[in-house]
Amino acid sequence: MLTKNDLTRYERQILYPDFGEEGQKKLKQSHVVVAGLGGLGCSASLYLTCTGIGHVTLIDCDRVELSNLNRQVLHCEEDIGEGKPFSAAQKLAKLNSSIEVIPVFKKITEHNAREIIKGANLVIDGMDNFKTRFIVNKACVAEGIPLIHGGVYGLFGEVTTILPGRTPCLACIFPEVPHEKVSFPVFGVTPALIAILQVTEAIKLLAGFGSLLTGKMLYFNGDTMDFTLCDLVKNQNCKVCGTKEV
Amino acid sequence: MSIKVRLHPILQKLTGGQEVVEVTGHTTGECLANLESRFPVIKQLIRDKRGQLRRYCEILVNSESTYPNGLTTPVKDGDQIDIVVFFGGG
Repeated sequence: MLTKNDLTRYERQILYPDFGEEGQKKLKQSHVVVAGLGGLGCSASLYLTCTGIGHVTLIDCDRVELSNLNRQVLHCEEDIGEGKPFSAAQKLAKLNSSIEVIPVFKKITEHNAREIIKGANLVIDGMDNFKTRFIVNKACVAEGIPLIHGGVYGLFGEVTTILPGRTPCLACIFPEVPHEKVSFPVFGVTPALIAILQVTEAIKLLAGFGSLLTGKMLYFNGDTMDFTLCDLVKNQNCKVCGTKEV
Repeated sequence: MSIKVRLHPILQKLTGGQEVVEVTGHTTGECLANLESRFPVIKQLIRDKRGQLRRYCEILVNSESTYPNGLTTPVKDGDQIDIVVFFGGG
């Protein structure tokens, strides 16, 4: 049920014909997990919050550092040393007090990933490393929860929407978890842009309109300002979502 | 026998912006070697010191994963190979 305040706050998006009050109600009833509160996770949670997702869980195990502040827009200088989920939740609560923001200061592991995401409507990939992404990908497939993947490098980024059982998962495309520990360059604008695309996907998926980046990877090249699409096909030999048991 | 290799955007920096390169070969490995002979710098980015494909790179044939055959996957005239690179940053 939307309140009078909801109708006022979300008036401009409710006006969108394919969305309307029904779409807003669906967002209000939704629970989204943002895995990682770095450049992607900060921008994604900001827009999930202001668009009125009813329940947003923020999970990260890191503390804010000075070197994060070129891209992690929810953290300020005074937050240095603070756990990222707490720092982010504090700002988001001020932005929209009508939603529930749940900070979880914890490392995502093989053992707890399913428990963390259980019951969520979708997961936003805001992670900064290959290993945790693959853990979350596997957990999402096992729980049947959509995962909206985003990744960045410098001025380059990528987005795809994974619907377990219906579309390729991350392991379909990259069967072996990359073990390279890469210190990657990044401008703040890249994760911001990719995160906004992830939230755009989330809104459409939760409210049930538009078409999604399913079975395709959208690449952004900030050097040339090109967007390109690459079709992806489900891998029947996939160790995570193929015919073998998860 | 002509195969099209579509390069991931980050690799296009190494081909002067060229997105699609036509190569020859009977397997993905041969096609890649043909590509690398023309753009040697690509090899440095997608292969490790032992010449193995880095795990954050994958080869798709007609949008389909080549796993587990990888570089021994056969290709035929008209196929499209995609070299995709996984962006791990967040």
